[in-house]
Amino acid sequence: MIFEVFRQETESDYHEHVGNVHAPDEEMARLFAQVMHARRKPANSLWVVPKEEISEVDADDPGVAMGGTTQKAYRWATNYSTGRMAEEIEASEAEQVEAEARRRSTRSEGGDD
Amino acid sequence: MDLSTVKERAGPRQFGPTDDMPREYREAATRMIQFHANSEIMGAYIERPFVRQAPSLDRKLAVSAQVQDEIGHGQLLYRAAENLGIKTREEMLDELAAGEGKFLNCFHYPLGNWYELPMIMFFVDGAAMRRQATLKRTSWEPYAHAIDKICFEEGFHIKHGEDILRELATGSRRDQELLQRAFEKWWPRILQFFGPTDDQSTHDDFSQEVGLKTMSNDDLRNAFLNAYLPKAEKYGLEPPEYPRVEYHEDRDHYEVYEEDLDWDEFFTVARNELPTGRGQIDKRRRSQDAVAWVREAIETTPASGDTPAAAD
Ligand SMILES: [Fe+2]
Ligand SMILES: [Fe+2]
Repeated sequence: MIFEVFRQETESDYHEHVGNVHAPDEEMARLFAQVMHARRKPANSLWVVPKEEISEVDADDPGVAMGGTTQKAYRWATNYSTGRMAEEIEASEAEQVEAEARRRSTRSEGGDD
Repeated sequence: MDLSTVKERAGPRQFGPTDDMPREYREAATRMIQFHANSEIMGAYIERPFVRQAPSLDRKLAVSAQVQDEIGHGQLLYRAAENLGIKTREEMLDELAAGEGKFLNCFHYPLGNWYELPMIMFFVDGAAMRRQATLKRTSWEPYAHAIDKICFEEGFHIKHGEDILRELATGSRRDQELLQRAFEKWWPRILQFFGPTDDQSTHDDFSQEVGLKTMSNDDLRNAFLNAYLPKAEKYGLEPPEYPRVEYHEDRDHYEVYEEDLDWDEFFTVARNELPTGRGQIDKRRRSQDAVAWVREAIETTPASGDTPAAAD
């Protein structure tokens, strides 16, 4: 059986997918996950999930629209030029800029192959 | 975990569902997050009429996106609160419908016209953002987690709000007059957003001790005025003479004259007894009733044996 592993580095981090392990049951999967994914790297917690228990929505599935592929400029802080803003607003905008850059780069990577 | 350990360990994102938290902590966190969640929902209801009344297609799309965001924020927060094991999401939604759920003072007043919209979108959302930014460091991790997404989205709301404000402030004489009138009407309510300045609230101290809150209401109000009064000025808006707000340069502090504000009304609002506030609550309850059949249909769907994901 395949188990997907999600590692949380410190208490205040999100769990991130780090890979999967092959194991006959959950107990062994937890052990393998520790060995594989939490031995060298710091970890506060691991989620170990049977692969077939994970529901997935794929961006290519018919009828699926995800990740801002439609033109929705009105929906982003960057669409409005209002000069200097309070620092927390600038921080929010910076996060949106970063998300957009990531979206762009995944899209162009997709175009290469 | 006992209360003294909680106070000792209190820090950003320190506690989560796997920690055994004392009841006092869980109740305080529930009160705070439920208030926040209710406010997101009631804020959406204040803005909703302007999806229809927006003067252009761009504005209509942006307002509806905002309303959609706010409902989402409410849902995220009810989940974060539910994790505390004090109340279920259904209980919190029922309390809101029954007029027992508390929410922000400004959302007890419906908006009169388009000119009043930026008062909410820019100033009130701006004040809320000031507070939310500090909650990224709250001690209840699921709350901080929800705040991450809220802050990510909220920058757009405030900038869109300011964009409307700018458009009206640089519009015709009539636009400018109506905008000033809207500002005068809303300014006292906005000043009351962070509560009385000499806040003797006992909830407050406790919340700070256990790390749920990281900044006092006084400091938040001051930071808000620091950032937003210059913006009002920039758009030619003049704060009314009363309530008086005086800036003390030596302390970099805005003094708000408490006695100029209507605290009877504020506490009437806080008890959910202001007639316009009741109207908003009823509006929300009617919407909830209207879609009761959807919830029932979803909840009574018999669970099938196999999970569809396993089928392929
Ligand atoms: Fe919100
Ligand atoms: Fe908002």
